[in-house]
Amino acid sequence: METFFARYRNLVVLAAILLAQIAGLAVQVRHNRSGRNTLDTSDPSGVRLIRLWGNAIVSPPEQLIHWSKIAMESAWTDYLDLRHVRDQNQHLEKTVERLRLEQAALLEDARQGQRLQAMLGFQEKYIYSTVAAQVYGSSGSDRSHVFYIDKGSADGLKPDMAVIAANGIVGKVRDVFPHTAQVLAVNDPTSGAGVILETTRIRGILKGDAEGRMEVVGIMADERIKPGEKVLTAGGDLVFPRGLPVGVVEKVVRDPDRDAFIDILVNPAAHLDRLDEVLVITSMQPRFSPEEQQDIAVSATQEGQVPTAIKDQMKAAEIMAEKLPGLVDPNLPADQQPLNDSSNPNPATAPPQPLHPDAFSPPGAATTATPATDSGQAPNPQTTSPAVPAAAQGKGGKSQTAKSPQPHSAPRRNR
Amino acid sequence: MSLLGAGVRRDMEIRRYPVLVYALVSLASLVLQAWLPRIVGRYDWFDLPLVVTIYFALGRRSPIQGTIMGAGMGLFEDALSHHAIGVNGIAKTVVGFLAASVGIRIEVENPFIRLLLTFTLSLLSSTLYFFTYRFLLGLAIDWNWLTELFRAVGNSLIAVVLFSMLDRLQVRE
Repeated sequence: METFFARYRNLVVLAAILLAQIAGLAVQVRHNRSGRNTLDTSDPSGVRLIRLWGNAIVSPPEQLIHWSKIAMESAWTDYLDLRHVRDQNQHLEKTVERLRLEQAALLEDARQGQRLQAMLGFQEKYIYSTVAAQVYGSSGSDRSHVFYIDKGSADGLKPDMAVIAANGIVGKVRDVFPHTAQVLAVNDPTSGAGVILETTRIRGILKGDAEGRMEVVGIMADERIKPGEKVLTAGGDLVFPRGLPVGVVEKVVRDPDRDAFIDILVNPAAHLDRLDEVLVITSMQPRFSPEEQQDIAVSATQEGQVPTAIKDQMKAAEIMAEKLPGLVDPNLPADQQPLNDSSNPNPATAPPQPLHPDAFSPPGAATTATPATDSGQAPNPQTTSPAVPAAAQGKGGKSQTAKSPQPHSAPRRNR
Repeated sequence: MSLLGAGVRRDMEIRRYPVLVYALVSLASLVLQAWLPRIVGRYDWFDLPLVVTIYFALGRRSPIQGTIMGAGMGLFEDALSHHAIGVNGIAKTVVGFLAASVGIRIEVENPFIRLLLTFTLSLLSSTLYFFTYRFLLGLAIDWNWLTELFRAVGNSLIAVVLFSMLDRLQVRE
């Protein structure tokens, strides 16, 4: 036995190390319900420990190199390469003065716009809390499109936070260490983001391919999709806010696996290969300055005052409607109808009765009609209207007078 | 290419380096591998930890040391990626073992031999990575063999330069 190990110790060591790594791999893979193997995104504690060690050993010298490069670049640009700086400085001072004036004017517009948009419920489109970070390293492999930033859990970063650059989205935080974090780029094959085409409003899922290109997959063939159309985040993936630029459509190709579907190659808006500074969206809750909060409170108060004013106006209209004479109120008994109310200072006038009734005259109108007096005065409704004598004399005419003017009076009462 | 007896070569031509050289060169390869892709962009067709593994395995001519070094470098690379830890480890473990085993038997001072060996072992490393990921773990992976070919060429060219630089760090007795 001793001879066997002595003779084959190289192979035995090789086999032992390989077996240990295969066993380690086995605990990182899960068998999902669809029958496919997937990598366990939540690293077991042992795996996380290895990642932590790897990061702790490689990150400090990597950051040292990165900061040395930046220091050398800034030393060159700030101290050595200073030709024509005086002229540029004078020119820039004038520009600053002009921009200050423009800024003052724009600030008011911006505040108003922000206030209105906040009230209109577009808050999800705005990013209210971000942490700026420097990119200092990568995974070192084009099979794994991840990069490292110099901010970590100590700065409030958590997994699955969106990472953006000035031009567009970049990725999401995958693994967080105390002072650094690993970001999974959007062009990695394992990443995914919900996107929407700006013009055609077609939705899809953005992912990367083996060459690090971005593509939108799972889209039905559509001739409206043309190169150059903007691609934006759809906001449904709970990572990226809605409406952030992703890139532009570069090319539309057939899905090699499914005939009716197409893949859209996307030219990224952010330079994913040359990232220096990024922003991590730490919160999407609105966070306004005290001044902005005051503005919003004032606007909210004004908004509340509008319905109050409308209510007051409506109440006044109702009061007026009650005071205005109506001909018939269905809620009142017959003897208290406005036409019969002698206490009303402005009694309603019944429609004038024709002197010579014909087939188009209201029924029974001519029976009691009385011509106007020669003096030109308007006839007294209590004497000229058939309703009044009928009401005063008996029940016979009451029903007729109550019915005939009703179509004219109803709109007035309902006002 | 001169074939020698394994025992003779092991006894006569084992290269020794200060421990600090092992540590610093390995660390530098890992750090540069993580940092350089940001400078060269998408043309990162090289694998410095693999080149360093091959160099030390060929020089030391000890399969056990080559195996351990390959495993360590591979695991560190995996730790920096977001993939499963062990995929690169397995590939580089085998490469370290084979490089040391080959180094026992053939003359590896010739730059052309070094270039050819590095090219072959780089392709083997990529193949092992692919088979481990795709078939051992059963995970879906997008793969481009052309990129792997470019990487093998890049590694070979780097190896020719780097090996001659590292040769100067060995302990002369």
